[in-house]
Amino acid sequence: MNLATAATARHALSGSTPVKRSLSRRAAGLGAILLLLGLTLILSLAVGNKNIALPEVWTALVSPGDGYTQTVVNSRIPRTVLGLLVGASLAVAGALMQGLTRNPLGDPGLFGVNAGAAASVVTVSAFFGVGAAATSVWVALPGAFVAVAVVYLLGAGAGRGSPIRLVLAGVVVTAVLAAWVSALTLSLPGVFDTYRYWAVGTLAGRNPQVIMDVLPFVLVGLVLALALSGSLNALALGDDLAQTLGVKVGRTRLLGALATTLLCAAATAAVGPIGFVGLAVPHVVRSVTGSDHRWLLPYCLLAGPILVLGADVLGRVIVRPAELMVGIITAFVGAPILLLAVRRMKAPQ
Amino acid sequence: MLRQAPCVAPATGPRIHTLRLGQWLSFRVRTRSVVVGGILVAAVVVIGMLTISLGALGVAPNDLLRTIFGQGNGTDRIVWGTIRGPRLVVAVAAGAALGIAGTLFQTVTRNPLGSPDVIGLSAGAAAGAAAFGVLWTGILPQPVGALVGASAAMALVYFATGRGFSSPSRMLLVGIGVSAVSLAFVEFVIIRVGREEATVLAGYLAGTLASRSWEHAATIWGALLVLAPFALIVSRRLQLVEMGDEQADTLGARSGRTRLLAVLVSIGLATAAVSVVGPIGFIALTAPQIGRRLTRAPGPGVIVSALTGALLLCLADLLTQQSPVPVQLPVGVLTALLGGVYLGFLLFGQYKKGNI
Repeated sequence: MNLATAATARHALSGSTPVKRSLSRRAAGLGAILLLLGLTLILSLAVGNKNIALPEVWTALVSPGDGYTQTVVNSRIPRTVLGLLVGASLAVAGALMQGLTRNPLGDPGLFGVNAGAAASVVTVSAFFGVGAAATSVWVALPGAFVAVAVVYLLGAGAGRGSPIRLVLAGVVVTAVLAAWVSALTLSLPGVFDTYRYWAVGTLAGRNPQVIMDVLPFVLVGLVLALALSGSLNALALGDDLAQTLGVKVGRTRLLGALATTLLCAAATAAVGPIGFVGLAVPHVVRSVTGSDHRWLLPYCLLAGPILVLGADVLGRVIVRPAELMVGIITAFVGAPILLLAVRRMKAPQ
Repeated sequence: MLRQAPCVAPATGPRIHTLRLGQWLSFRVRTRSVVVGGILVAAVVVIGMLTISLGALGVAPNDLLRTIFGQGNGTDRIVWGTIRGPRLVVAVAAGAALGIAGTLFQTVTRNPLGSPDVIGLSAGAAAGAAAFGVLWTGILPQPVGALVGASAAMALVYFATGRGFSSPSRMLLVGIGVSAVSLAFVEFVIIRVGREEATVLAGYLAGTLASRSWEHAATIWGALLVLAPFALIVSRRLQLVEMGDEQADTLGARSGRTRLLAVLVSIGLATAAVSVVGPIGFIALTAPQIGRRLTRAPGPGVIVSALTGALLLCLADLLTQQSPVPVQLPVGVLTALLGGVYLGFLLFGQYKKGNI
């Protein structure tokens, strides 16, 4: 139990003591990050196999015509919107998970969301034919939800659950599902072929309908997450202290788990499992905002899409005319940023 | 981290004995740990005998000892000498090495998710194996590639933290970055190459004990015999470090050095295991947790974790060899399944008792 409290306590300290973070500073940061996001969005519409000048992008957006540039820009809108949704969902889900489990290693997939989605996709393509599974959101989503439900029952049961039990329950379910996925994919080559492309995660070539399918989940998840930010601050002090402060620990944890699941399951179902975003973005953001969740979550909401869309744009450029999938680039782009953020961290005493 | 303070209440005092050897050596011995350890050893021996004896090729239990000492008949000698013997001997040592690596790492990082895998050791090994085994073939053999990848990943973590391995929280975060990059590279390789190559690679990445030789056995046992004593020494000091650095320093445990030594031993053992059996997941993660729950001990039980790891890997290997499924699955698939299910079972039992 003392595992994570030490780490979060340190986050809490580095958040408040060494640098006094004033309201105006944080607000200015938010403005800057918003500008950066706007820039990434425009780049995502403009850059690709056929580059389009920025003024023309603007024209295509405000006064739609039916020229060639219009078609190109339109074709890039779905993946841009997807990147926006997925980036925001994963980053917020990651911050939420790290707060809930009081574990700096908290990854949105920790409660088995990705493993459940993968198991579901693999199982359906094994038994109902390859191809049917990878395209449908409604295959990945139920798997993710079932996996999290099992983790929660195992980890918390009727009680409020301790972070460690939940984390271990997540490890258990992930291990078993990963074994199932390996067993199926390694014995059925056709399934493996579908799976290896699904497992990378890409924004390209998705049906625009996917956006409408996952949008409700993302919105509910985000609202829930932002509403919980105050309670999460209390939870960082430990269960007992949080309860003394009037926070309903069990309910916060349940709602938090629900929000993470909605967000992460929607993102995974839409574009496949994109790792690292949920883990890295909150840490990078924390080095700017400190550990106050009321700032951390909105920052993550905006910073997540910057990483995902930025990686996507880069993926279109570096091996032109081909593309590299976004799931591969995010790690290469995000890791150096994470390293810089870690080196900024105050040394533990 | 995972201390269960109520379990070591003074009332249980009589069950903890002190074993003295001369003036300088003394060990505190918990009765329950000794019993659990004994049972685990017996289980490993039984599983080992089954591994050699079962199936059409099996050596009859009566001939087992004679075969091991080189006096069996021809078939038996081949089965023990080249097919099943090395495999079993490698499994015992690799499982033990991973168990120890996991328990030390989890204690140092105070995190039940901590294992050398988390900071990119397995991912680095996988990337090395993918690079030298599939992309640039012919430069290095795949296991050596894995070793190079794992070492490179650890070197990267060491230098990127700016403070070496002395700060666990930094090490974990940096390690995640290194791990993510390595895994992204592996995914890139998997979607770039043809289906056949990708399947073979995925099989290797799940970890395998197939066709191990006595050289593999010598490598892993050598590493285990050299590093395990350090693990035992450092684990006693780690218990003090867990109380907090200042108290530990006052008691002479020198927290910084202890932590560094523990991490180095852990990484050394895990690297040795990875280079011999490939990146087998979940043993380093689950073995210490299972061992802790079996002994109900507060501290890092190096011996019990080692035995649990060995048992997990041997059992998984036995099931792989004797499974009725036509496709022989890599042993890593089964360790994940066994370890996961059993840990879940333990968690559920503790939940019913209202324990953490």
